[in-house]
Amino acid sequence: MFRKIKKIEPGISKNRNENNNCIRTINLNKSIVNNILLFKNIFKDDDTLIIREFENKCLKSAQCCIIYLDGMVNTESINMNILQPVLGSDLSNDIASDNLLEELKKKVIVSNNVILETEINKMVSSIILGDTLFLLEGYDKALIISSKNWKTRPISEPDSSRVVRGPREGFTESIMENLSLVRRKIRNPDLKFKFKEIGERTHTRTCICYIEGLALEGILSELEQRLGEITIDGIIDSGYIQELIKDAPYSPFETVGSSERPDVIAAKLLEGRIALFVDGSPFVLTVPYLVVENFQASEDYYNNYIFATMNRLIRGFTAVTSITIPALFLSVVTYHQEMLPTPLLLSISASRQGVPVPTSVSLFLMLFVFDVLREVGTRMPSPIGQAVNIVGTLVLGQAAVEARLVSAPVVIITALTGIETLINMNFIGATIIFRNFLLLGASFLGVYGFFMCFIVLYLHLMSIRSFGVPYMMSVTKAKNHEGQDAWIRAPWWTMTLRPKIVGTKNLVRQSPRKGKEN
Amino acid sequence: MNKIKITLLILTILISSIFAAGCWNYREVDKLAIVAGVAVDKGINGQYKVTVEVVQISGAKDSKITSKTITMEGKTMFDAVRNEISLSGKKLYWSHAKVIILSKEIASEGVTRVIDWYNRDSETRADVHILISEGASAKEILSSQATTEEIKSFVLDEMIKNQESLSKAPIIDMLQFDNDLKAKGISAIAPAVNLKQMDGKMLPHIMGTAIFKEDKLVGFLNGEDTKDLIFIKNKVKGGLLIEGTQGNDVSTPVSLEIFKSKTQVRPVVDGNNIEMNLNIDTTVNIDEIDGPENFIDDEGRMKLEQSAENTLKERIESLIMKIQSEYDLDIFGFGAKLREDNTQEWNRVSSNWEETFKNLKVNVITKVHIRNSAMLSKPLEKGE
Repeated sequence: MFRKIKKIEPGISKNRNENNNCIRTINLNKSIVNNILLFKNIFKDDDTLIIREFENKCLKSAQCCIIYLDGMVNTESINMNILQPVLGSDLSNDIASDNLLEELKKKVIVSNNVILETEINKMVSSIILGDTLFLLEGYDKALIISSKNWKTRPISEPDSSRVVRGPREGFTESIMENLSLVRRKIRNPDLKFKFKEIGERTHTRTCICYIEGLALEGILSELEQRLGEITIDGIIDSGYIQELIKDAPYSPFETVGSSERPDVIAAKLLEGRIALFVDGSPFVLTVPYLVVENFQASEDYYNNYIFATMNRLIRGFTAVTSITIPALFLSVVTYHQEMLPTPLLLSISASRQGVPVPTSVSLFLMLFVFDVLREVGTRMPSPIGQAVNIVGTLVLGQAAVEARLVSAPVVIITALTGIETLINMNFIGATIIFRNFLLLGASFLGVYGFFMCFIVLYLHLMSIRSFGVPYMMSVTKAKNHEGQDAWIRAPWWTMTLRPKIVGTKNLVRQSPRKGKEN
Repeated sequence: MNKIKITLLILTILISSIFAAGCWNYREVDKLAIVAGVAVDKGINGQYKVTVEVVQISGAKDSKITSKTITMEGKTMFDAVRNEISLSGKKLYWSHAKVIILSKEIASEGVTRVIDWYNRDSETRADVHILISEGASAKEILSSQATTEEIKSFVLDEMIKNQESLSKAPIIDMLQFDNDLKAKGISAIAPAVNLKQMDGKMLPHIMGTAIFKEDKLVGFLNGEDTKDLIFIKNKVKGGLLIEGTQGNDVSTPVSLEIFKSKTQVRPVVDGNNIEMNLNIDTTVNIDEIDGPENFIDDEGRMKLEQSAENTLKERIESLIMKIQSEYDLDIFGFGAKLREDNTQEWNRVSSNWEETFKNLKVNVITKVHIRNSAMLSKPLEKGE
């Protein structure tokens, strides 16, 4: 199937190139009327294109024209800084100058960013971005005057990861604002931003961000290469790129990280990771991404380290149990009753009296119902939220038990698993998939089947790499400083080194405190 | 092609290992007939009469857990147990059985035939407590009325477990019993159970020890003797020492509660002569003083310690004498100890150990330490 697509690909790109070429081959004419016609032609059937023709009050020969897209520009700024100076100032003295356009750029137009441009391609993309194109009679060049001003969302705390302690700003959909948020945290010229346009039709701007001297060149060039291979027509969210560049593409585990928080991205950059900003998405990607990062909350680093360690252990523990508990329960209750303490066996047996549905089926059923409720909770409009709660708790929980459709322990296990799943939202997909996988194994073969499937899961995790770094790195290694920020969050004064592999280039994060080294 | 081969190989290994995974099958808990305890009596024509107590759970909400007993007969143990299907329809589930009660008749004929199945079957467990019925039949004990819980076997189980703070019956499970039965230089013992009338009810009553010669029951010890036996076997975890009741040095009755006790058995070999040194070190506290006598000051305490040591020593010596003269069975495990410490000497005497045991000299040294006097520091005195 994939081979077929590859075969078709060259044909598509050929078409695309032809399209580009037909614009590129035409150059600007010295006649302004012709030039206006040219742009009218390019933006045919686009009614947002505004073409304003005018001339200098003193110099009639200086016929000008500005072209911009309505809604993308700051009209006030165009009036004040382009129209007013050009219309009002006395250009008759400059007629002697053989380059009036240059004179205008230098002396008349009030703007922080004016570029003299000859290429028509760049002019078009600038107009699309919200700049204003300035044409002058008798010149086959044009000025691109910065006038971008489109509406963006104000910076607010991201809903996806709220904190009690820590910075409350979150990324927005505007790439430049996002970059500024990170730049403000790392004030260092070593912080590099490399722009790259991806998307054959959307021309989405992306930006690779890293700290020179910390990020590994190998990973950087690998990222650039993978980005270069993308030939998709459009990028709407960073999720597109995340999936297109990720290692182990068939795995439900993410090997490219994403965060909505500038503080998280800044911290990851300082560890030697590389960030990828995508215009239009508040989620910034980071590579390489290891499994431990799923359990590292930004708050861990701002709170007391003992408390943070406890929270992290809870996250790690629930990550394992949310996958295993239903399967273990099922295998013990239906295959290995001798492993239960006698009072527990009696109470489970009592709760199952008169329940017609087998335990395995009822577990699958209840977990499915929970997933349905979870999906409803995320999709539905918030005013209807209460109805879902009532249906979920009363009808499906209590009533199902009272009607003897499922036994009470099954409901408890489902509730426990469901809540635990929600703690680690980062890999909720993988949790649900592998939970059902283990449950399937357990329902056919008991504890034996459970462990068989668990080993499959473990081997899978062990086999994944993210940009050359083993995915399970730091989870399995506790030696030296590698375990400092995995299962536990060590106190800041002991974390003198950056995570290995990711920050191999420059390991030292801080000099050891006096009196603390040993 | 190579990949296919590897995949096939892995699949073959996985599938074949499914069949090697032992005894298991899918069963719902509510379909199990959970056996709480089992009693074995002698039936007619040399058959076994096996009574099982099965847990009965009725009602889903406000469920009530009760039990019923089912009695069946068979030529062998397993035959009897399987005949149960024809009575109740459910297959018995043995993993949670707590007690196995053997009647005196069965035990006297030899227990091997009974417990072999219990040890061999995959579902039964070796941590079941073994009990020997002294007077009544085993079935009567399992069908007697219980004071606290609904399920008699669980009551019996609790009774045995809590012997730790009474020390009037040994705590023996199937594993221990098997070991003692097979081991050299030690004879097996098991706790004894009786029926006792109380408020018009017949209640089970665990006290004393059943003594086995090889696998046959030969006699019983009473509760007090059992306590001394447990002292020698270094299994004392609690219990009482009573002073001043049998005309000792102390005239006021005093109860001493045992905190911890350690017994060291050391065989001393001198040429052909074997002696056993028994060192008992017990820590107690005074929990009851039934009179005005002062045991709190140094002098009184020393006197009490001295008296307790003497009593304990006398009782232990007399028990050893009794066992040596009446049973000539090494229930204390002296032979096993000798085998551990001095294998050569054991090899020499093992063939004739019973005779050696009969004439074995045992030196008993007892040491009692009084740690405190519980919540009162002085004896209660009458007001003026």
